[in-house]
Amino acid sequence: MKRGGNGATGSRVAASKGVAFSKSPVLAVSLPTWRSRVVLFVLFASFLVLAGRALWLQGVSNEFLQTQGKSRYQRTLELPATRGKIMDRNGQVLASSVPVKSIWAYVEEVSKSSLAKRRQLAKTMGMTELELRKKLDSDRNLVLLKRQVEMDTVDAIKKLNMAGLDIRPDYKRYYPQGEVMTHVVGFTNVEDKGQESMELAQQKTLVGTAGSRSVIKDGRGRFVEDVGLSQEPHDGKDLTLSIDSKLQYIAFSHIKGAVEKFKAKAGAAVVLDIHTGEVLALANWPTYNPNDRRMLTGDQLRNRVMTDTFEPGSTLKPFTVALALDTKRVRPATVYQTAPGHMVIGDRTIHDSHPKDLLTVSQIIQKSSNVGMAKIALPIPPQEMWEMFTKSGFGQAPKFGFPGAVAGRVRPYKAWRPIEQANMAFGQGISVSLLQLARSYMIFARDGDVIPLSFQKVTELPLGQRVISPQTAREMRVMLESVVGPEGTASQAQVAGYRVGGKTGTAQKVVNGRYSHTKYIANFVGIAPMSNPRFVIAVMVDEPTTAAHTGGSVAAPTFAALAASALRAANVQPDSSVTNIIIPDNPLEESM
Amino acid sequence: MNGKINLVLAATLVGCALSLVSSQYQARNLFIALGKLENQAHQLDIDWAQLQLDQSTLGKNARIEQIARTDLNMAPLTPARTQYLTEGQK
Repeated sequence: MKRGGNGATGSRVAASKGVAFSKSPVLAVSLPTWRSRVVLFVLFASFLVLAGRALWLQGVSNEFLQTQGKSRYQRTLELPATRGKIMDRNGQVLASSVPVKSIWAYVEEVSKSSLAKRRQLAKTMGMTELELRKKLDSDRNLVLLKRQVEMDTVDAIKKLNMAGLDIRPDYKRYYPQGEVMTHVVGFTNVEDKGQESMELAQQKTLVGTAGSRSVIKDGRGRFVEDVGLSQEPHDGKDLTLSIDSKLQYIAFSHIKGAVEKFKAKAGAAVVLDIHTGEVLALANWPTYNPNDRRMLTGDQLRNRVMTDTFEPGSTLKPFTVALALDTKRVRPATVYQTAPGHMVIGDRTIHDSHPKDLLTVSQIIQKSSNVGMAKIALPIPPQEMWEMFTKSGFGQAPKFGFPGAVAGRVRPYKAWRPIEQANMAFGQGISVSLLQLARSYMIFARDGDVIPLSFQKVTELPLGQRVISPQTAREMRVMLESVVGPEGTASQAQVAGYRVGGKTGTAQKVVNGRYSHTKYIANFVGIAPMSNPRFVIAVMVDEPTTAAHTGGSVAAPTFAALAASALRAANVQPDSSVTNIIIPDNPLEESM
Repeated sequence: MNGKINLVLAATLVGCALSLVSSQYQARNLFIALGKLENQAHQLDIDWAQLQLDQSTLGKNARIEQIARTDLNMAPLTPARTQYLTEGQK
């Protein structure tokens, strides 16, 4: 190595006289040239490999690597939509979904944890250790331990600090009003699908759509950025029903009381608002608790107001009379001879349970005379009667969305024989549901027209379809009010403080194709208050087994109690000064 | 001269780069805050639903009637014991 220097180090310069290091003959080794070539080639080749690898990563497997990368920093989140609430007309919640958790377990990891811990887990979830072991004994890697676990339990499970548990979000639907409201509201299954009543009918609007979003996570697991398009979740729409919780409870407790008092099989009641067509209350007994459906029977599930049809009996008499009045065939004061209390039509005889003498049309309704009804009905052409029934809604499938609502049955008029026509005039050989019956009475309560019913709150008054003239409707209301007088068949339907009107009916059930003499359906449809009608209330008691089994002695008092509470609860001003009602010792019973 | 422009441009570039970093940082922070608030809003929605549910459960007519009858010894009123006051009547 040559070192340049100045005067101070001049003494060492002499070394420059020697041979340069690179030219030193000592170092001159003669190597074969192929060795350097090999090195060069190896270097070149490794660079080529690197370039190739880079090309491979950048080009060919790029997509795969990108997805791998994304899976490490990007998450796609499911954004579940909450099912809409169901509320009554005053905003009280009838059904609401609350987030809960479902507990999943990775079988291998959980099985490895200590027995004491597993015991504790089982206990917290409210199952035995054996049940837990059965669930873990599975071929699958991940098993569901329990659904719809409430938050307190979840916190307790988290405290166990067990490995292999996966806690996932879930929803649970609660029905705070329980058995009182369940035949209107219905319920959902664990998959959040509506199974009955409004939950089923309005499934589409209630359910909403789930959304999703993709986010980038930072090192601490926080979401720092949205990537791509996110889909907003849309919660299900809330549903406001026409039901009034207070009236519903009143109807429910009275129908329950009636079923117990008259030792009946079942009972049902419905309250309609005649101005809007809203169903204010719909009660059934027996019923069930929608929050605990383990012991459910078909009998409890049945919504008798909507799905059961029966031959209503005398409750149908006013329709034929209204038709006769409307077509000017009779006037309320027209007199008919009903003696001797029975009448032969063809090969059959019809009877009155209390034979009377001369009766006016009004009195035929008031005393519920079958013979009188037959005499009014027979001169009317069958087609007109059929049209009257059809316009009033009988035999027609109800148009509102409610699962299981039935149409009932009105046979085509061309096949009617005179005896059948007479029977239909007093409600035999024709089948209706309680809701249809209640709705049809609107033609009397509403000055002659009928409006569609609604289970949802109505904001716009619906347009009516005229069935009878306002004049006829007014005359009919006078007759219906007389039924609920001391002289009528429904004296027990009187309500202290209010004027009410209505008609009783006792239907004989058809057993093995014949009318039974032990099984009855007592029903009553009433209008209240008479001075300015507001409600139509229909009551039905199925198979009362006490001595009292007729519409007048079973359904009428139930109606009276229900109407009294309902009118007071709805703040309807009393329209009668009578506060002590008079019920005769021997109230008149209607014919069957 | 040329060197000076380069220097200025380089400084500007560094400045821009730094501000990009800082704004990205701020954006992420704000995004995290937004997420937290959204979660809070969601939680409040849940609380609201729960409270409505509680109100409905505690205020249901069956419970009120039961308490009125047993705890408070109340009885339903009847028209016979009611004095109706009507405006304009003596």
